[in-house]
Amino acid sequence: MSTTAPVTLDLSKSGPTPFSRLVKVEWRKMVDTRGGLWLMGITAGLLLLVMALVVLVVGLNDGRVDGNDLSQVFTIPVSLLLPVFAILTVTSEWSQRTALASFTLEPHRGRVILAKLVAVSALAVATIVVAFVVGAVTNVLCALVTDNPLAWNLDLSTLVWIVISQLAFFAMGFALACLMLNTPGAISVFYVVALLMPLMVWSTLYAIFDWAKDVLPWIDINTAITPLTTDGYDIIGEPVDVGLVNYVQGVWTLVLWVGIPVTLGMWRILRAEVK
Amino acid sequence: MITVDRLTVSYGAFTAVDDVSFVAQPGRVTGFLGPNGAGKSTTMRVMVGLTPPTRGQATIGGLRYHDIPNPGRHVGALLDAGAQHAGRTGREILTIGAQTMGLPRTRVDEMLELVGLTDAEARRRLRNYSLGMKQRLGIAHALLGDPSVLILDEPANGLDPAGIRWMRGLLKGYADRGGTVLLSSHLLHEVEQIADEMILIGHGRIVAQGDRKTLLERAGNAAVTLVTSLDNAALATALTGAGHAVEPAGEGLKAHATTEEVGRAALTAGVVLTDLRSGGAGLEDLFLELTSETARDAVPGVAVPTGGTPA
Repeated sequence: MSTTAPVTLDLSKSGPTPFSRLVKVEWRKMVDTRGGLWLMGITAGLLLLVMALVVLVVGLNDGRVDGNDLSQVFTIPVSLLLPVFAILTVTSEWSQRTALASFTLEPHRGRVILAKLVAVSALAVATIVVAFVVGAVTNVLCALVTDNPLAWNLDLSTLVWIVISQLAFFAMGFALACLMLNTPGAISVFYVVALLMPLMVWSTLYAIFDWAKDVLPWIDINTAITPLTTDGYDIIGEPVDVGLVNYVQGVWTLVLWVGIPVTLGMWRILRAEVK
Repeated sequence: MITVDRLTVSYGAFTAVDDVSFVAQPGRVTGFLGPNGAGKSTTMRVMVGLTPPTRGQATIGGLRYHDIPNPGRHVGALLDAGAQHAGRTGREILTIGAQTMGLPRTRVDEMLELVGLTDAEARRRLRNYSLGMKQRLGIAHALLGDPSVLILDEPANGLDPAGIRWMRGLLKGYADRGGTVLLSSHLLHEVEQIADEMILIGHGRIVAQGDRKTLLERAGNAAVTLVTSLDNAALATALTGAGHAVEPAGEGLKAHATTEEVGRAALTAGVVLTDLRSGGAGLEDLFLELTSETARDAVPGVAVPTGGTPA
């Protein structure tokens, strides 16, 4: 503020907000509330519980585990609750009405939403890193308990697919959140589509009906990408030939559950009146 | 400088803001007055790009809000003090704002001190804040970027009398240093002591604008004086004799005359006055009259003495 009355703004004192700064802010906003801390805490608890169970089971049976086995087990706890972060980062702006401040400080709303997506993706990758660290510790513990030699072998393709599927489900939560802008709605739809239906309905239909084997890979991300992530097994563990069609199905289900909702959602967010 | 140019915002058949134009000048406090639902908040949201205008536009320093780089450094806005995450502490809310604008952390402490939030209060979560504390935090948030333009929607809401006085001083000093201040209120007496310029809005339309004097002139020459004396009957006779209408009002009289005329009448009649003040309901009357057609409760007769609060 100068002593003479400025009729126009003194733009020299501010450049455009760098995107990296927006990403940092969105990351901070994900983890600075009690809700965020609880989600992190419960996930940490789940990881420790899984570690204890694995060591116990392996120890009692004098079993052997390797990197591939452990990576399958330890991605479960980090994929259960953490996608909620991807949902909350968008919906809480509406439920807590922080969008007023966010979009006033950065009126280019698309940049804010993109910064959220980058922060959420970083979180998805970080959770996999944590899962692998805990998995590695578990591996060492198992070897100590059973006196069996340590086996680290982990296929690169397994690792890549784990990261891809984690990112896919985070992206799906994010997309549904953009579309619905409502926390309970987005969380319910996400868990029904991503967890309940595959577990309770799709797998049953898939096992019983032939038509389900043709139809389901076109509507469910999990059914579509499982043959890719497991290198040739479908969701009920039967061997399938992996071909181009599986990749097409994988991409299409992502378009269906990520591409379409995020496009409609962005259209809505960019035009919405923020109150 | 804020320029609102032929702004209209419609929701279907309902027009919330109807062809509104005004300018808020630097170095001045501009009061934006109107009853609830008159279109004040909608106009302010258009200024900061949160509500798309149907027609017309609002610019700040000649720029559309979207075209201002890092706008928080130029425009401080308090639109709704409650619109922050209930689970964040006051300090965290300011830290996020400071980080977004690329300001040093020390700025957060400066602002907390400026608005009088203690360290312990800043560590509390917003859900445990009183309305007054939220307002102070909101004002701190608006001032973070050291902006040259302030847009405050009902900033005095929930502040105690000491808080209101503090805010008046703050905004006055801010305008004196060259800043542009636009603040809205539905309470005339909240604004008239601080605003250099007032804009009265009702039903989405500007019904009057200008400084206090201009507005009073428009209100007409209706000088009203409230007077109490040791002998009201004698004073009433004297005033009526001098050609002024008089009516009883509480323990005293209400005379349609200036305070000077009443004083002279009392001197001539030899009546001791115990209370003499301007019934200057002029501005308040004007405010109620201009907005009453559009206010929720029609005001019959519009004869409210000072101190009352309109719709």
